[in-house]
Amino acid sequence: MAYAYLFKYIIIGDTGVGKSCLLLQFTDKRFQPVHDLTIGVEFGARMITIDGKQIKLQIWDTAGQESFRSITRSYYRGAAGALLVYDITRRDTFNHLTTWLEDARQHSNSNMVIMLIGNKSDLESRREVKKEEGEAFAREHGLIFMETSAKTASNVEEAFINTAKEIYEKIQEGVFDINNEANGIKIGPQHATTNSTLSGSQGGQQAGGGCC
Amino acid sequence: MSAREGHHESCNIRVEPDGAGAQPRTQANVAGDLSGGATSNLTSQGLPSSPAPTKDPCRVSAKPDTIQGEEPSASGHLGDDLSSRPHPQVLRTRTVPNSVSYDSTILSPGDEDGETFAELGTQGHSDRRFMDVSLSSRNTFESSRRHCCICWLRLFACTSTHQNRLADRGNKLSVSSLKIAHSWSWLFCLVRSLFPKKQREPKGPSQNVPGWKLFGKVPARESAPKDSRTIQQVAGTSPTQPQQGRRKNLEFEPLSTTALILEDRPANLPAKSVEEAQRHRQEYDEMVAEAKKRELKEAQRKRKEMKERFKQEESIANAMVVWNNDILPNWENTRNTRRVRELWWQGLPPNVRGKVWSLAIGNELNITPELYEIFLSRAKERWRSFSETGSETEADDGASLADRESSLDLIKLDISRTFPPLFIFQKGGPYHDLLHSVLGAYTCYRPDVGYVQGMSFIAAVLILNLEEADAFIAFANLLNKPCQLAFFRVDHDLMLKYFAAFEVFFEENLPRLFNHFQSSNLTPDLYLIDWIFTLYSKSLPLDVACRVWDVFCRDGEEFLFRTGLGILRLYEDVLLQLDFIRSAQFLTRLPEDIGSDRLFACIAAAPMLNGNRKWSQVSSSKQKKT
Repeated sequence: MAYAYLFKYIIIGDTGVGKSCLLLQFTDKRFQPVHDLTIGVEFGARMITIDGKQIKLQIWDTAGQESFRSITRSYYRGAAGALLVYDITRRDTFNHLTTWLEDARQHSNSNMVIMLIGNKSDLESRREVKKEEGEAFAREHGLIFMETSAKTASNVEEAFINTAKEIYEKIQEGVFDINNEANGIKIGPQHATTNSTLSGSQGGQQAGGGCC
Repeated sequence: MSAREGHHESCNIRVEPDGAGAQPRTQANVAGDLSGGATSNLTSQGLPSSPAPTKDPCRVSAKPDTIQGEEPSASGHLGDDLSSRPHPQVLRTRTVPNSVSYDSTILSPGDEDGETFAELGTQGHSDRRFMDVSLSSRNTFESSRRHCCICWLRLFACTSTHQNRLADRGNKLSVSSLKIAHSWSWLFCLVRSLFPKKQREPKGPSQNVPGWKLFGKVPARESAPKDSRTIQQVAGTSPTQPQQGRRKNLEFEPLSTTALILEDRPANLPAKSVEEAQRHRQEYDEMVAEAKKRELKEAQRKRKEMKERFKQEESIANAMVVWNNDILPNWENTRNTRRVRELWWQGLPPNVRGKVWSLAIGNELNITPELYEIFLSRAKERWRSFSETGSETEADDGASLADRESSLDLIKLDISRTFPPLFIFQKGGPYHDLLHSVLGAYTCYRPDVGYVQGMSFIAAVLILNLEEADAFIAFANLLNKPCQLAFFRVDHDLMLKYFAAFEVFFEENLPRLFNHFQSSNLTPDLYLIDWIFTLYSKSLPLDVACRVWDVFCRDGEEFLFRTGLGILRLYEDVLLQLDFIRSAQFLTRLPEDIGSDRLFACIAAAPMLNGNRKWSQVSSSKQKKT
């Protein structure tokens, strides 16, 4: 299916916070209580619509263990959006956010949109990190923030879509150079017909074969 | 003892989700009858015109009156578990509740369970022909014992899958995972008795099979629908269907019979003309003839399959004798002979597998079982002190926490994420503590490496094939090999050099695919990391992975990369059609039905030669370059 844009996302955060479950909920609308652990990287894709435009999300779901950081770092390249996930029932996963953020800022392009996600919001009774703390952290570092539950699907759509909206707005504002693929955005074949101002680029030739 | 030894490979299980399974299965069968769909399984009794019964009288539901009724004391936890489940999730079995039947003799896995099994076994024996699913089918190099055990694992995996699916649908579940855990004490006896060192020769094949995949990978994202399909397919294959059931069914589903075409029209409609009636008769005859042809073909296929399997099983049995009598007693002299290497390539018989792995991996590190005990007790001490102080210091930040994460919390977290569909490694599962011990001892033994994700899969495969201490010894020595050390230390630069060496052979062997991947920026690290870290145990079905391990033990790291080439070759045509994201998804979630024979044919067709340079030369030259 043709799309106007393709955005690359990367999901990062400590191991066991629910990165793969968020992805599974978003792409397959399912929840798996015991998910395989992720070694290296796994992938997901889904089409969404923003402002009447088809946007394909290509999502890289990374391994969370500290030891794999050197590998994960190589996957930031060309990401337009990042979902930085912590587990609201494990304070240490929140405490590690700073190092994740450093990594992300250092190895991605400066315009990458980062969505901070406090996952497992269904486990209210085991909560260790207050929502306000997440909000404060996000405000302080200029991130978007949301609490989600991959289990109940609460806010999962929104998390992925709001990130895309933010990226889309940045494109509209001209912040992203969409002809530079290092920014994690590719122009799809559909775009060439819908927006003539953007169509002259190489967009579409590589990503054009994409189907979803 | 004799009873214990006497159990056999034809352990037949029939599991079917009630409610959810009954209706679709019927339809599937009917559709099959009419259109030759793959789901239909016509037998001599199941004439094409006859719809499959929705309710099969010989199917008993595993409710208190069956399982518990037959032998309440022994079914114990399992019975509780099943009976307490709300209607839709009830496991239904045919003839024998959760039927494990043993061909001629009887299994007694534990003293207290002996009686039950005797009873189940007897009944299973007498009704053997009713049982459709033979578990001894596909992976014939697996021993009969392993088969039975895996049947059980599979059974539990299915149970849980259905629970999950139902939970997804929002049904209220009364069965908590705890309850499943309860049944472990019971399953544990079974597993223990099914993983003995001694092995009886496999007997002939049994029954027609859809064949359950033993050691089958149940991929996380695909498992639920696949499982249910298997179950439905399995459930649909009933060789004997009592007339009663069919009749009864006719009333409810007149559409499901092809013979309806022969009926006269209802009185309020104009009657059929003679020609029309004749045409209908002809059409009907054609349908019947067509169905009969299909049936015959199917029977032929089955016969062939069975013969094939029988042959394979015989060759396993023979190989086992050779390994035990000729090769293992003269290991050092025989291991490198051509005959042994060839036999090795065919796959090791399961009951010598652990032994051969151990011998081939060796023990350069000179680890003794005593040393393992020492490190294990150290690990236990650390767990104790952690659990005493852990909750208070949890808010600590900094290095100490990272350290703790790597060794303690993380192991715990990951064990349950190791082969989740097998269940045996989950909390409360029979191998949970064992895996915990081996990994814990290793982090004490090699604090410089520590626990790295992926290790749990390697340890798990070893635990499935070796005794605890031997598994640890093999584990530590295996991880000490240069390639494994590079990966588990996450020496990224060195890993990239391995990938670069792989690409040399990739390009040599599969230039088209290589170029395709290059043009879509699909680099080998994206799929190789997962494959190499876990030695394929996460990405391939477990039985296939074990066969890869066999030759990996023989040939070393080279074979890991060669297997990678084999997979790419096997799916070359598919991959050439896919874009970046599709290919990446495909390679990080390989198809579940990957067969070891096809894969090994592709591996064999991928020589590790670049000009006249071998893997070791290419790889070391890459590593020299900085």
